[in-house]
Amino acid sequence: MSSLLKIDDMSVRFATPRGDLKAVNNVSIELLKGESLGVVGESGSGKTVLSRATMGLLPSTATRTGTITYQGQDITALPKDEVRELWGTGMAMIFQDPMTALNPVRRVGSQLTESLTVRLGMNKKDAKEKAIELLKRVRIPDPEAMLRKFPYQLSGGMRQRIMIAIAVSCEPELLFADEPTTALDVTVQAQVLDLITELRKESNMAMILVTHDLGVVAGHTDKIAVMYAGDVVEYAPTRELFSNMKMPYTEALLKSIPRLETPTGSRLPVIEGRLPDPTKNEPGCPFANRCPYVTDKCRAEKPPLTDGGNNHFYRCWFPLGGVK
Amino acid sequence: MADETQTMPETVTSAKKKKPVGFYIAGSWIVLILLAAVFGWALPAPQWDQSFYDSLGVSPFHHSHILGTTLDGYDMFAGLVNGARLSVFVSLSAVVVGGAIGSVIGISSAYFRGRIDILVTMAFNVMLSIPNLVLSLSLISVLAFSDENHPATTARRVGVLILSLTIVIIPILGRISRGATLQWSSREFVLASKSMGTSNFVIIRKHIIPNVAPAILAIGFLAIGSVIIVEGSLAVLGIGIPGGASWGSMLANGRGNIAYSPWEVYLPAGCIALTVISCNWFGDYVRTTLDKRESKI
Amino acid sequence: MRLIFKRFVAMCTVVIIATFLLSLLMRLLPGDPAAVLVPNAPDQVRDVIRQETGLSKGIFGYYWQWLSGMLTGDFGKYYLNGGYRTVASVLQRCLPPSLYLIMYSQIVALVIAIPLGLTSAYKEGSRFDRITSSVLFTTVSVPAFALGLILSLIFAVQLGWVDPIGYESPFGHPWQHFKLMILPVISLSVGLTSSYTRLLRTDVIATLKEDYVTMAASKGISNRRVLWKHVFRPSSTTLLTSAALNMGGLIGGTIIVETIFVIPGIGYEIAYSIGARQIIAMQTLIALVSFAYVFFNTAVDLLTNLTDPRTRERRG
Repeated sequence: MSSLLKIDDMSVRFATPRGDLKAVNNVSIELLKGESLGVVGESGSGKTVLSRATMGLLPSTATRTGTITYQGQDITALPKDEVRELWGTGMAMIFQDPMTALNPVRRVGSQLTESLTVRLGMNKKDAKEKAIELLKRVRIPDPEAMLRKFPYQLSGGMRQRIMIAIAVSCEPELLFADEPTTALDVTVQAQVLDLITELRKESNMAMILVTHDLGVVAGHTDKIAVMYAGDVVEYAPTRELFSNMKMPYTEALLKSIPRLETPTGSRLPVIEGRLPDPTKNEPGCPFANRCPYVTDKCRAEKPPLTDGGNNHFYRCWFPLGGVK
Repeated sequence: MADETQTMPETVTSAKKKKPVGFYIAGSWIVLILLAAVFGWALPAPQWDQSFYDSLGVSPFHHSHILGTTLDGYDMFAGLVNGARLSVFVSLSAVVVGGAIGSVIGISSAYFRGRIDILVTMAFNVMLSIPNLVLSLSLISVLAFSDENHPATTARRVGVLILSLTIVIIPILGRISRGATLQWSSREFVLASKSMGTSNFVIIRKHIIPNVAPAILAIGFLAIGSVIIVEGSLAVLGIGIPGGASWGSMLANGRGNIAYSPWEVYLPAGCIALTVISCNWFGDYVRTTLDKRESKI
Repeated sequence: MRLIFKRFVAMCTVVIIATFLLSLLMRLLPGDPAAVLVPNAPDQVRDVIRQETGLSKGIFGYYWQWLSGMLTGDFGKYYLNGGYRTVASVLQRCLPPSLYLIMYSQIVALVIAIPLGLTSAYKEGSRFDRITSSVLFTTVSVPAFALGLILSLIFAVQLGWVDPIGYESPFGHPWQHFKLMILPVISLSVGLTSSYTRLLRTDVIATLKEDYVTMAASKGISNRRVLWKHVFRPSSTTLLTSAALNMGGLIGGTIIVETIFVIPGIGYEIAYSIGARQIIAMQTLIALVSFAYVFFNTAVDLLTNLTDPRTRERRG
């Protein structure tokens, strides 16, 4: 399979009154056609910024460096208008909160057909037919009635399905899903993820799934990038990551997932401590203050991204299971 | 995105930041006007109500009349200084008295709720249903009633003007303070204080008023601006203060001479506009600093 | 439906109380109201007028007679030098000029404010935005009468481009109508434009931060389309509400502008009736103005309630 997206040494900075905030540091990631990547981390780790920066949806206070090659073309060098041409038809995004990401004053139908008529040049009738078909694909009952509804008349799960329908309407090559299930009830989370994976398989779409929940990515991605304080700290194929975990941080993330078998009332393990201040440049491993295995070396020197074989990269002086 | 931005560090404390340029410009104009209003009589200027028959309608920058004279020979500078006194007196007393009454009504009705609140809201709505200018127009025409044989004195006209402007201000500031009180009186610290058995009076004094005051102050500044405008409008309509004793009155008198001595219109109009702009600026300033404080909580 | 009914009842209550207070105010006039209306008329004439207007009755009787007159189309009279003119006939003549003036001012203000507000919000913090904001801040504070006088001084008196005063019907002399309307409309719309632009800017800046705007942009549609279809639509409700709420202020503004430019509109008539102490006409005109004001507020409130899905959401 050929390469679809190649992010090379990308950094993102936000200008704030207290100085530059480093949201993403020198990240390099590659994605093949039809492949799916999970980006996992706590809130504030830079995972959402990574996905938005890749697409080019950053506010004007942000600066992005590095190159992003999409289908052999460096899109960081393109003028904004040409990048926009890729949005919707090449790359599309499913947003985190379906309650706020649909325009409250416009009907579902007009929001769904907008890309079809504006981007694909369909006429109204065709667009409507296509919209109904899309709604059927995301398993919405009575799609014709749905077109006339306003978002406020719908449940969160329904809205998320609509948003998915909008995102896949122009059959993009690459789908960004930013915490697509976080805002939903636990009962519909699995359904929505299965739906996304199914749609993806049908049309060989690649996906970048951003989430804080390591459990979510397990069944739905080919590889995983774990982010911490703007760095990719572990990057490996999904199976390899779970069988041969290297980073103490990834381990801590895994432990923080609530499980059905956990007895009710028992304390959920959380990662103690806070993320380092992203506007400061402190030496050492950013996770050192929270790491159970911390040594003096960790506090003094920041570990580089190390190749552990089997396409497994990590950023730690003392990885779990030892150095090969 | 949302969760990411929340972890961004708070912006530097704005208190230490330099005050914007407008602060000094608007501030010095207001100070100047206040000084002119209070100490204007001590200035080495001609009598404001004395006509100089040898220099009718001289243009500004004349050697003995720095801002010129009107076509009737009145000194513009002296007129403006004297006008400042009356304009400041009228607008401040209307806003302070009206604001005080409005706030007391607004705060207590919002705090105690119930039937009184419904009644007060209704009363405010009724008063606000008549446009400002129309309301003060009709009040003045009734209260300052005079027939040809007994013309109302200037003092009475000023009194009536202040009274009617006060009545106009009451519902405006009353509604603002009512809204702000409603918002604050449901906060936890008020409920907590109530549960400790603190008396209502103490709660209002200690918790409500300090929080509601900035909002009232902000609107108060805007109200001063609109009162000055209404005063000028009434003068232009010929039912304000007569005889060129206020800025509006000077402007109204100068209207007829506009083709010969346009400064008779420019100067008082400029004074009115600058004062209104300065007051509005401070109102805006208080409101934005208030918003910033609010967003930090 | 119940909502409409409730608002309607509230509106009527406000109007009835306001007009009753107005009647009370008229009766508080020192001296004999009939003598005020016709100062030099003999007693018999005053008696007739007292009967006609209900001034001979108590305050409630007077109010009732006035109110039923209003409801049946009898708006009272102007009493002039022995004769009279009905307020209804005066209204017929003075309503159109005022309506044109208000309509033009609103249109001009909105046409300028919408693109200006959208652009400065979209370019928040840019040089364009900062300049627009400070210019608008200054112009919003300039009183309409000062602006009107200065405009008339420059363009009518000194340059002589238009006549300083007067009014023509748009059907008889369309060109003259527009020429005479230009300065009054500018005087009224400058302040309006500023307040609309500022309002729209604040609202659009808030809307631009919404997720659904980023979502719309991620579809790859043009900025222009995002701005109009996704940002302006939700923000326009606020703008329209404020436009309607400004009707009251505008009617107040027309009094002063119509007096300066001598346009025989309703504001001019109010000023005239106050000056001539025609208290019946005055009461009727002020009552009509407040009714129009309250009516607009209620209507807009209802319309936004019914059309904006967001307020429906809050309710349901």
